[in-house]
Amino acid sequence: MPGTRNAASEGVDLAYIGRVLRVVSVADFKLKYADSSLGYAWSVAKPLAYFAVLYAVFGRFFRLNLGFKHYPAYLLIGIVLWTFFLDTTNLGLWSFVGNSSLLKKLAFPRIVLPMAASMTTLLTFAVNLIVLAILIAIDGLRPALSWLFVPLLLLELYVFTLAISVILATLHARMRDIGQVWELAGQLLFYATPIIYPVGFLPRWAQYIAFANPFVQVLQDIRAVIVPQREAMTVAVVYGSEAARAVPLATLTIMLMIAWWIFKRDEPYLAELT
Amino acid sequence: MTVFSIDVSDVWKSFKLPHQRQDTFKERFLHPFHHVEVEQLHALKGVSFSIEQGEFFGIIGPNGSGKSTLLKLLAGIYVPERGDMTVIGRLSPFVELGVGFNEELSARDNVRVNGALLGLTMRQIEERYDEIVAFAGLERFMDQKLKNFSSGMKVRLAYSVSIRVEFEILLLDEVLAVGDQEFQEKCFETLETIRSQGKTIVFVSHDVDAMEKQCDRVMRLYRGEIVEIGPPDEVIERYMATTHSMG
Repeated sequence: MPGTRNAASEGVDLAYIGRVLRVVSVADFKLKYADSSLGYAWSVAKPLAYFAVLYAVFGRFFRLNLGFKHYPAYLLIGIVLWTFFLDTTNLGLWSFVGNSSLLKKLAFPRIVLPMAASMTTLLTFAVNLIVLAILIAIDGLRPALSWLFVPLLLLELYVFTLAISVILATLHARMRDIGQVWELAGQLLFYATPIIYPVGFLPRWAQYIAFANPFVQVLQDIRAVIVPQREAMTVAVVYGSEAARAVPLATLTIMLMIAWWIFKRDEPYLAELT
Repeated sequence: MTVFSIDVSDVWKSFKLPHQRQDTFKERFLHPFHHVEVEQLHALKGVSFSIEQGEFFGIIGPNGSGKSTLLKLLAGIYVPERGDMTVIGRLSPFVELGVGFNEELSARDNVRVNGALLGLTMRQIEERYDEIVAFAGLERFMDQKLKNFSSGMKVRLAYSVSIRVEFEILLLDEVLAVGDQEFQEKCFETLETIRSQGKTIVFVSHDVDAMEKQCDRVMRLYRGEIVEIGPPDEVIERYMATTHSMG
């Protein structure tokens, strides 16, 4: 087996990865907002504007808010989670191809690049969560003990998002039109996912498919915890069994395995491919 | 007993160069059975050599002889296709005119990112920052975006970072090509210091005068193979003879 042995770089140095993540994400953050006069305000303004448009169209015009007491909160949760998922994967997609000059000049654990991309959007996400919390408070929803599940669910979403990012970033190094494909797929997924409409709008068979997606499961679990509903549509309810909670977790595990496999396969060649 | 820094044994590396790149879906879908002619570019063909600890080792050869590929393999940027390489000690690589800079970031942020990537802690970066900037002579420009830097300025900054990280082996690819006379002299002074600390330097250059003056041994590559390894004056003399007779 050919290879390079380097006594100095054996083993994964977590402190090193932590430092690199810190400087790279601070740099990314500066890059993103360097030449904009509103700067960071954009990251809040974007999902809010999105929310306003979708609420006007679907809430008012298509009257989705009639059946719901807390449709605004319900909708904003969906938009904030979706924005995080889409922004992270879109940024992650470019993390190898866009850092080609770095890959060609230095040997370092390549995984830090998609991870750093996710750090930038994670910060924006945190700010969006504060905005969401304010709206929830205005909407008259009061915290309950069950809200403690939310961080755990957000962690699941983060892991899933990172797995998808790594898969896309690695494929992108080999096939440049993954960028176009994902742009289109993002649009389709947005409408295929119960973000603006309730899960009940989907036909039965589509509900089964939707809930195999960890994103939908996390979204619906968070909504079920925060927004009181007569019957919250969660994975257990849709499949009619508590054991069905394993379905989205299985998808998550498979995606992690694919991400690991594809990344490990291509990692040594990223400098050549990009 | 001699202590080796680098041991390379029968290393091969080739790159696939498709005659028509087929890396979009459209091309694959429209021509699924279209056979893409792939040319194998054999950059290195069974290269074996060792570099001793503390040695100043030069590599010369015409363009396309495999010098830069070899340096990137040593740096761990590429992996060998066949063969083994052992590198003992931390590396500071200076390839493709420097560390991986981001053009849109300020020079200050670039130093931080590169310092961290090269293994410095936050404290070390802050402590060494002034030295790095002073050596590069870029005090007034550190808040500028890197894209506004001249190539000479970028090289100065990159070299300055490279020599201030923790390393036992310094890999240098054409650092002198872009810098001016004054900077070249400063470079050689630092190389003297690095050498006196018992560190290993691998130096790729077309500057044969510098190589003859500085190196302990020089290796000549031609089309991915080692022609010879020996004392600088002899190797360079024969190298010059072949290039002139060919030209």
